Amino acid sequence: MPTTYDELRAGDAIEGPEFAVSRESIRLFCDASLDYNPLHLDDEYMKGDFGKTNFGGIIMHGMSNFGLISRMITDWAYPAGAIYRRLETRWVKPVRPGDTIRPVGVVKSKQKTARSRWVLIDVMVRNQAGEKVATGEAMVEFPTP
Amino acid sequence: MTQAEAFETDFWKHANVRKLWDDIVPGEPRKTVPYTLTREAIELYCAAVGEDNPMYFDEGYARATVYGGLIAPPSIHILLMFACTPVDDWMRSPGTVNAGQSWSYNVPARPGDVITLQARALDKFIKRERLFVVHDNVFFNQHGEVICSGRGWTIRPQ
Repeated sequence: MPTTYDELRAGDAIEGPEFAVSRESIRLFCDASLDYNPLHLDDEYMKGDFGKTNFGGIIMHGMSNFGLISRMITDWAYPAGAIYRRLETRWVKPVRPGDTIRPVGVVKSKQKTARSRWVLIDVMVRNQAGEKVATGEAMVEFPTP
Repeated sequence: MTQAEAFETDFWKHANVRKLWDDIVPGEPRKTVPYTLTREAIELYCAAVGEDNPMYFDEGYARATVYGGLIAPPSIHILLMFACTPVDDWMRSPGTVNAGQSWSYNVPARPGDVITLQARALDKFIKRERLFVVHDNVFFNQHGEVICSGRGWTIRPQ
């Protein structure tokens, strides 16, 4: 995976780290994010319908996907001298205790602006069955030398 | 009592004083509380998402980088969001579902920063019978610099 602006091409891939989801990892994320929504804690509550949704049991925080994608991008960007500037995500499928998820990034395009240089990266997170659980787009800046 | 210990973790506790989707006025600023970001909070956050980059842990390493010292991961806003939100805010309503977020990053947050949040619901709409709210959040440090700016979509239970 090239790490200079000039070498980067559409289709270049960034492999992200695997993340094992468990009740404990979800609980740790509650403590670390201060998000104690019962969606992530209370199985009995989750067995019922609320609004138009029934998840059946506790689910991982959507923002865990966000944090995981961010880690993938920054671990690649810092050594490349690039600055992580934006991430947009949406959740596609709930993630449950027992799932293992992994993010990947694929360079979509690059573009020079009046004062700098930018790379757009399609990102997605997949579970152990290969299903997409989250998708998004990241934007990274390579300052002009 | 530390800030973290003072944080109310029972989201049901103030359920009856929180706004319904009907009560939300797009455009109206919401009340927020300032938060001092500590090294401990950063390290706990890092542990929860598996961040192990020395930028966030190793002062000597971090000082030698362009950042000149320890920084928090850009996604620290995940913690800042709830840290700066009072207990009676609708964001904490049990059953509120996060449908996605977008965040733009300006400068990193650092240990010791006193961070403030300016936030408001920007829009609300109904799609396939679900009640959506779009909210708008900007975090500032004590120098008045924007740390990051984000937008979130939530689905409200009622």
